[in-house]
Amino acid sequence: MNVLIVEDEKSLALEIDEFLSREGFTVEHARTRRSAEEKIFVNNYDFILLDLGLPDSDGFDLLKMFKKLPNRTDAVIILTARGAVDDRIKGLEEGADDYLPKPFSLNELLARMHAITRRKHKLDSNEINIKGFRINIQNRTVMYNDERINLTKKEFEIFNYLVLNKNRVISRTNLTEHVWGDVLEINSDSNFVDVHVKNLRKKLSAFAPLDWFETVRSIGYRINI
Amino acid sequence: MKLQLKLALYNTLTKIAIILFTGLFTLLAVEKVSVNHIEARLEKSKNRIINNLSSNEVNNLLTDQKPDYNILNQEYVLIKPIAKGQNDIVIKYRTQQTMVDGSPETYRILNTNFSFNGHDYRLEIGESIESIEDLKSIIKQFTLVVLLITLALTLASDLIFTRYLLRPFYKIIDRKLIKVNDPLNFDYEKVQTTTQDFTLLDDSISTLMKKISDLFILEKQFIANVSHELLTPISIISTRLENLMLQENLSEEAENKLFASLKTLNRLKSIINSLLLISKVENNQFNKSDTVRIADVVAEITEELEDRLEDKRIVFYNRIAYQYTMTANRPLIHTLLFNIINNAIKYNEPKGHIVISDDVSNNIYTLQIADTGIGMEPGQIENAFNRFEKLGSDEMESFGLGLAIVKSIATFHNISIGIQSQKGKGTTFSLTFNNRG
Repeated sequence: MNVLIVEDEKSLALEIDEFLSREGFTVEHARTRRSAEEKIFVNNYDFILLDLGLPDSDGFDLLKMFKKLPNRTDAVIILTARGAVDDRIKGLEEGADDYLPKPFSLNELLARMHAITRRKHKLDSNEINIKGFRINIQNRTVMYNDERINLTKKEFEIFNYLVLNKNRVISRTNLTEHVWGDVLEINSDSNFVDVHVKNLRKKLSAFAPLDWFETVRSIGYRINI
Repeated sequence: MKLQLKLALYNTLTKIAIILFTGLFTLLAVEKVSVNHIEARLEKSKNRIINNLSSNEVNNLLTDQKPDYNILNQEYVLIKPIAKGQNDIVIKYRTQQTMVDGSPETYRILNTNFSFNGHDYRLEIGESIESIEDLKSIIKQFTLVVLLITLALTLASDLIFTRYLLRPFYKIIDRKLIKVNDPLNFDYEKVQTTTQDFTLLDDSISTLMKKISDLFILEKQFIANVSHELLTPISIISTRLENLMLQENLSEEAENKLFASLKTLNRLKSIINSLLLISKVENNQFNKSDTVRIADVVAEITEELEDRLEDKRIVFYNRIAYQYTMTANRPLIHTLLFNIINNAIKYNEPKGHIVISDDVSNNIYTLQIADTGIGMEPGQIENAFNRFEKLGSDEMESFGLGLAIVKSIATFHNISIGIQSQKGKGTTFSLTFNNRG
């Protein structure tokens, strides 16, 4: 899958590039509206990561222009330091597929990109199989050998996010932000996540050993497959 | 006391003093002049009597042994023989009241001795001063009446005039000071007045407000710019650290340090976002066009915070009885209530209580959020809404911006907040929704 990063901040674009390349994406980079337009006219992308503050234009204008192009299915994710709620709403109304306020976690970006892919392509199966646990993203259920495991909404979110970011350490902060959203003045590194993870493991381990579900001391969690 | 009343009182008092003084002066002058006049007349009568005396007359007067009154009892003459060489008259004139024909009359009396035909006599001539007394009482009455009328007129006219005079003053106070919630919305239009002092006041306030609002705008722009410009570098560092984390040959120590750095960055991000939010709220950059039902928002928040309540085994009583709706910014109201309820959990004792109740009186809706937490000292309550004020000073996770956000959102929506708290017993937040719903 190919991604166009429209971002005037070069070092940020490079970091995103590095991360997404590692994930198997083909990444291109545009720093101005003009070069972004040229690239968009020439290529079809799976994702366009769009910064709103471009040196020669407002990102919204580029979005509007892009939306007028026929037969385009590129998913647009707005990445911006303009984190106002109004901007968020405006971005989604203008046809963006998602909106991530800066600074964001790369894991979060990846999770959103996966979610969009599933939504767009009605992925062959909405199920992810992990060591016998079948996660159905559509119905938000987890099954083990046809038996349904009763997870709370938050336990499901945590499990799903860890599975999506498998083989990567996910910090409590990152997990909290993903599950509870970007709530201001929330004690981000409190033990609420731990409580949920503890409950989640208890429920899962009733079915199979969880040696692949690792706690990384003082940091967070990792699912190793 | 109002200036208007003070001026009226002052004017009234000075007028009373002037009238009383004039009255008294007139009274004394009238008396002095009349008495002088009468005394001069008495002297004249005395001279005439003494010069024109005949033995006959003296005998007549002596035989009567009674004062000789004229027709209207206005005047009388009395002559008494006295011993030779006797001269005991000390006071030449005196005033005396005498009963004449059954009614009292006041006389000014002249006493003098004279010799006639080798005998010594005392002559007493009296003249009624009843008319002067009458005049004096008339003057007194007149003064009193004038006093009363002037008093009433002065009071009324002064009150009316000063009210008219001070009207621009109160207009300035009301429009330029009381009604100004936000220096940015200041009304620079001049209040109509011909009084120079008020124009000066008006101009001074306007100048001051201009300065304040300039500073205000500058501060807001500064916060917004700084916050915005800081978020991008934080983004870069955080993505860079995340990429570093993915290096496979990382030692555990390095990994830990990277995570610690990410956590610190996250803290920085939260602070900046909070400041940005406050700045935007205070800068009126949010719409207030959502219809928000308070009960729904509270229900939503309790659902979100359910796990925290459970974790601390806090009993939550939702006693909201009214379906109050207001036009507001829903995400902001959510943040406002979220922060208060989250604090109520954060600072609560394990197995404590939280009670949310509401009330409507005089068409004003109030919401109370009471907890059984650690409470606050009076000094802490005072500073609770200040930025970076941490209530539990050892609370590492707090940034001290939660209540500052609450305050700015509340002010934005015309909600007043009161805190009642007792150290060790708990805290109650009262929200008064001043906009009639």
